[in-house]
Amino acid sequence: MSDMLISSNERENKMKLASKISRPVNWNKIEDPIDLEVWNRLTSNFWLPEKVPLANDIPSWATLRPDEQILTMRVFTGLTLLDTIQGTVGAITLIPDALTMHEEAVYTNISFMESVHAKSYSSIFSTLCATTDIDDAFRWSEENVNLQRKAEIVLNYYHGDNPLKRKVASTLLESFLFYSGFYLPMYWSSRAKLTNTADLIRLIIRDEAVHGYYVGYKFQKGMELESPAYRAEIKAYAYDLLLELYENEIKYTADLYDPHGLTEDVKHFLHYNANKALMNLGFEALFPHETTQVNPAIMSALSPNADENHDFFSGSGSSYVIGKHEATKDEDWEF
Amino acid sequence: MEKPKDSTYSYHELNAMLNLYGPDGKIQFDKDRQAARQYFLEHVNKNTVFFHNLKERLDYLVEGEYYEKELLDKYSFEFITKIHDYAYSFKFRFETFLGAFKFYTSYALKTFDGNRYLERFEDRIVMTALLLADGDEQRAMTLVAEIISGRFQPATPTFLNSGKAQRGELVSCFLLRTEDNMESIARSINSSLQLSKRGGGVALLLTNIRESGAPIKKIEGQSSGVIPVMKMLEDAFSYANQLGARQGAVAVYLKANHPDILKFLDTKRENADEKVRIKSLSLGVVIPDITLDLARKNEDMYLFSPYDVEKVYGVPMSDICITEKYQEMVDDARIRKAKISARKLFETIAELQFESGYPYIVYEDTVNRDNPIAGRINMSNLCSEILQVNTPTTYNEDLSYNQVGKDISCNLGSLNIAKTMDSPNFPLTVEAAIRALTAVSDLSNIGSVTSIKQGNDQSHAIGLGQMNLHGYLARERIHYGSEEGVDFTNIYFYTILFHALRASNLIAKERGKTFVGFENSKYATGEFFNKYVQNEWKPKTAKVVELFKDSNIAIPTQKDWEQLRDEIKKYGIYNQNLQAVPPTGSISYINNSTSSIHPVASKIEIRKEGKLGRVYYPAPYLTNDNLEYYADAYEVGPEKIIATYSAATQHVDQGLSLTLFFKDTATTRDINKAQITAWKAGIKTIYYIRIRQMALEGTEVSDCVSCML
Repeated sequence: MSDMLISSNERENKMKLASKISRPVNWNKIEDPIDLEVWNRLTSNFWLPEKVPLANDIPSWATLRPDEQILTMRVFTGLTLLDTIQGTVGAITLIPDALTMHEEAVYTNISFMESVHAKSYSSIFSTLCATTDIDDAFRWSEENVNLQRKAEIVLNYYHGDNPLKRKVASTLLESFLFYSGFYLPMYWSSRAKLTNTADLIRLIIRDEAVHGYYVGYKFQKGMELESPAYRAEIKAYAYDLLLELYENEIKYTADLYDPHGLTEDVKHFLHYNANKALMNLGFEALFPHETTQVNPAIMSALSPNADENHDFFSGSGSSYVIGKHEATKDEDWEF
Repeated sequence: MEKPKDSTYSYHELNAMLNLYGPDGKIQFDKDRQAARQYFLEHVNKNTVFFHNLKERLDYLVEGEYYEKELLDKYSFEFITKIHDYAYSFKFRFETFLGAFKFYTSYALKTFDGNRYLERFEDRIVMTALLLADGDEQRAMTLVAEIISGRFQPATPTFLNSGKAQRGELVSCFLLRTEDNMESIARSINSSLQLSKRGGGVALLLTNIRESGAPIKKIEGQSSGVIPVMKMLEDAFSYANQLGARQGAVAVYLKANHPDILKFLDTKRENADEKVRIKSLSLGVVIPDITLDLARKNEDMYLFSPYDVEKVYGVPMSDICITEKYQEMVDDARIRKAKISARKLFETIAELQFESGYPYIVYEDTVNRDNPIAGRINMSNLCSEILQVNTPTTYNEDLSYNQVGKDISCNLGSLNIAKTMDSPNFPLTVEAAIRALTAVSDLSNIGSVTSIKQGNDQSHAIGLGQMNLHGYLARERIHYGSEEGVDFTNIYFYTILFHALRASNLIAKERGKTFVGFENSKYATGEFFNKYVQNEWKPKTAKVVELFKDSNIAIPTQKDWEQLRDEIKKYGIYNQNLQAVPPTGSISYINNSTSSIHPVASKIEIRKEGKLGRVYYPAPYLTNDNLEYYADAYEVGPEKIIATYSAATQHVDQGLSLTLFFKDTATTRDINKAQITAWKAGIKTIYYIRIRQMALEGTEVSDCVSCML
């Protein structure tokens, strides 16, 4: 990008730093109603991995072949890495760029939940796998060139100084990069394996869907303040970054899924989600319709809605929410 | 791993397409039918062991110890051939992929290595009919016709296990009392392990266990209350789960006036400490009318120490009507008490239901008012539809039995309402079902838990259930919960009750035997029949008159009831309990029904079960042209569900699993209001509370059928 162009977002940021006035956040004065809507959604979606009876997957885990177990562990270490980045670096770097104070609050929530996600994978590991296997999988994730590259690309942008670019990187991470990993538990779940683990992943997907949507939305708000020329530059940048990540993601996907013959199918899934990420940023789809035809079993398994039907033989599922308390009144008790 | 093919979709994928709109914006029902076909071609046919003829097959299965020889020996080979041919003559086909998949995954007999199928649907039905007819050829033929036509469907344990040499029990629902002593607690855990090993669901009554801080051997502050008992049960079940073919499950019930009630509820909190968090137990709260009355007045409610109550009254707290004795207990200085706000209790219950779906609720006084049997009902079961009396067991010092009490087991089976309305002989359909369920009770012998065996031997209790109400109403173009819908439910259950009692009376006559305690029941006094003899029950709407007329089903008259009452007073009935309406999970998919008498959860339902993964199920009789009659449970809302259940409840001696559905805009107050409405409407129990949260706009999966309102 050209150094000549300074975005108004950056200008505003610098002014904010210069003024250094601390203001308390006032939730009774909402500047952007989306902040409140998303905050409410995120808090009512709050969950902890302990609520999912992962131990019920132990018999199912035992039916996976050793190579399938290794694949699963590697996929989860990859996801752990992304969530770690997002929780400890990603969401936090977005805070200084926030346009409203409520937006800052939402990012702190996002950041916390990302750490919950990262910890969830450890719950899966400790429930299903032996320590030596876990260590091996973690070592693999540290040594896999393409996974490390993916982390490096995203981290670079988080550490850069452009707020809009940071949001692009964050949205691509939330809405695109996770999905090569999410594919596998959905695949297992559509084949009746590791269904409780899939429930947990679905809770994560439910969160990530909101995160990606929100950061993308804030990106679009930020873009509105910019000149057409600068907007075009950012847009070109977003596509460049997506392609860079995509190229790397294909290699990473091949590393994982080639031995299992699933790579082509995962790619379709990646295309679908890449388009979705672009949509969140307010841009047109990149991949043509026919290359985004996701395996319907995976597609349907994805739906983050609370419309599953359970009985007591299943886990609590990915559907419950924390309720709104309201005391009963005298007229409710008339009988 | 199976590799996805480029050219053709697998059955899994075809089935999933049911949840994605087609290019024309319509639901792709044909894809699900293709999925069922594909499933047979790709999977079932390839993995079924082939036999040249029936003889070869049966010899192989008996020699291989797959089938019970003693059962087949009750019939001639000629008859067995005849009944097989008869079963296959119906040309049965599964309507949905899930129906077929569920049957082959969970019910069909497989080779011991689990890889190949040894049975088709028809074979399973024949074995079930042969077992339940107990050597009577005519009855076996009748049962085959009833089951394969979809009118009667035995519950999972019966249908799964009948005739298999290596099998679990035919019943899978048990209710156990636990008393306030170590012998009883330990026995409960032992019994739970035994029952769970056999694939059962167990409910335990914890009301009588002394509260935390109560004295032990007069030393104060010693008891740790009900939570550690729950922990032990949870661990015991997670162990037994690993052995069973079907996962065990357990529920615990506690009376609202137990001092540990809030701790009990808090075990389900999202942020509960690991030490007290109960993940896998289902909770139920037994609520006496006094609780509602105090909440109405917004007063505090006293909680009573079960330890002191038992000392003062000489009977366990579960066997006392708290509503009646409340003031007396409050005034009794010997009874230790604590108090909480009654409204607050209801609010806490609603909060927990939001977070976890639990607890279930039993309206204790309603249940006991409507109970025709002498004795007290103090708990329910895992699905909150079993409501029967029990008595405590006492032990000697060496842990042997002093007095064996009566605990509860229940065998269930359900009628498909649509198919039953189509029956060429409605009374016979009900009679065949009652006889089949009675046979299950006669054949059951749970020796490992003496109190269960005792209960079953004395009561022959059964639970005839119903399913596919919504499917039937939609097929007949009636909206669920409408005036016509409620009217139908009332008259249908009324007619079922008549024929169920008639059948049980017939069995009592044939055998010259009634359940133990018949003479103390409201059946024997005739009191039970007052409401049918003194009032006229008939349809209120023209549509329902027409439905019964078109089906050639006679609606019993007051005169019919007088006659039946006199017969019953004279000869009694064989079964202590007759009806209970379960939630019907698996069997309603095989049977192509909507679950129980609920509205559908979704037009295309996503079903997730441990063994099955995610599978999609279209509501029965649903087409792209009659979508309007399939408003889902969240749209229908609690009032209409309660009205429908209320109409049915008045004709059912036990309970009905009633789930309430809310949109995520609901608050705890909405849940409380529905609970009050249900209680006022005479509802006996409430099963789950379900909240549906829709995806935030902009984050949903595109073209997904179940994501649309």
